[in-house]
Amino acid sequence: MDKLIIQMFNKNRQEIFNRWMEEMESIREDHRLQNISDKAYKDTNVEFFNIIFAHLERNEYKANDELTDFAEKLFQLGWRLSYLTQGLQNFRRIILSVLFDTEKSSTKVFDMFDEIDRWIDPIINQLINESAKNWENTVSIQKVALQELSAPLIPVFENISVMPLIGTIDTERAKLIMENLLTGVIKHRSQVILIDITGVPVVDTMVAHHIIQASEAVRLVGAQCILVGIRPEIAQTIVNLGIDLGQFPTKSTLYKGMQSALEMTKRKITETE
Amino acid sequence: MRIPILKLHEYLLITIQVDLDDKTALQFQEDLLEKIHNTGAKGVVIDLTSVDMIDSFIAKVLGDVVRMSNLMGAKVVLTGIQPAVAITLIDLGIMLKNVPTALDLEQGLDKLKQELGG
Repeated sequence: MDKLIIQMFNKNRQEIFNRWMEEMESIREDHRLQNISDKAYKDTNVEFFNIIFAHLERNEYKANDELTDFAEKLFQLGWRLSYLTQGLQNFRRIILSVLFDTEKSSTKVFDMFDEIDRWIDPIINQLINESAKNWENTVSIQKVALQELSAPLIPVFENISVMPLIGTIDTERAKLIMENLLTGVIKHRSQVILIDITGVPVVDTMVAHHIIQASEAVRLVGAQCILVGIRPEIAQTIVNLGIDLGQFPTKSTLYKGMQSALEMTKRKITETE
Repeated sequence: MRIPILKLHEYLLITIQVDLDDKTALQFQEDLLEKIHNTGAKGVVIDLTSVDMIDSFIAKVLGDVVRMSNLMGAKVVLTGIQPAVAITLIDLGIMLKNVPTALDLEQGLDKLKQELGG
C-alpha cells in the first residue's frame, strides 16, 4: 500500500481510534450485544482495532491468521458476523473522512480512496466466507447427528422389532427409514415390525406414501409391518386426505400393536406364579 | 441355462443363484409349471437370497409364475428378497401384491405348511 496512506494512518491513529470506538458503541445494540459487559465489549473493540491496524502496516491484501483467529473466537462466543463487517466498514468510513480532511489534492484522494477500497473489501469477503464455512460446518454436523437419531430399529422380542419415529419425515429421511428397516429385518430376523408414529407431528400424503412404500418393501423381504401410535387427529387427516391404509394393520398404541404382534408370532405373555 | 427344481415331499424348492435374464426366467416358468403338473406338488418355495437385481420384466414373470402355480393348485412363497431388491421393486411400483413372502427358506416352509394346513 501507498506509504503515504500508512504514514497518514500512524499520524492520526489516536483520532481514528477514538472515532471508531464511538461508532462501535453506537452500533452495539444492533448486534444484540447489550448483555455483554461494557469492559468486555471495549476490550474486544480495542483488540479488533489493533488487529486491523497491525494488518494495515503489514500491507497485505487478504485477512491474515490473526484476523481469522479473532473472527473464529468471536463466532464461537456467539457474536455476529455483522459486528465484524460493520466494524470494518466503519473503519473505512472513518479513515476516508480523515483522509479528506488531511489531503487536499482531489486526484490523490481518489487514488487513496481506491487503494483503501481494494484493501478492505477482500478482507470483508474473506470474513464472510469464513463465517459461511463455519455455518456450513455446523449444519453438516447437525445433519449427521440428526441422521443418527433418525431411524433406529430396536429388537424387542425374538422376531419382533420396533421403529419409533419422531419428528417430520422428508424424502431423505424416508429413504433412510426404509434402508434401516430392511437391513434391520434381515439382521434381527424379525417377522413383525411395529412402526410407531406417535412422535410424527403431521402425516400428509407424502409421509403416508413413504410409510406405505416402506411397509410394502418390508413385506417383500418377508416380514410384516404394523403401524402404531395413530393419534385421533392423525386418523382424521388420513381419512380426510383419502389415504388408503387398509392394506396393512394399524393400531392406536404401541401396547396394542405389541399384543397383536405377539399373537401373529403365536406367543403370549403370561404372569408367573 | 436352466434352473434346477428340487422336490421335497409335497413341496418344490427352487433357489435362484444366478442373475436371471429374460430367457432363463421364461424357461424357468415353463419348467416349474411342468414340474408341478408331473409331481402334483402342493407348495413351492422360490428362494431369492442370492439374487442382487430384479428388473421389471423378471418381477412380472415371478408374479405370473405365482399366479399360474396358484391356478394349478400349488401355493408359492417367495423368500430371501434382499433389501436392495425390495427397494428397487417398490421404486418401480411393483408391489407383488398377493404374493406371500418370508425371510428365509425355513420360514417360507413354515408359512407354506401353515397356509396348506389352514
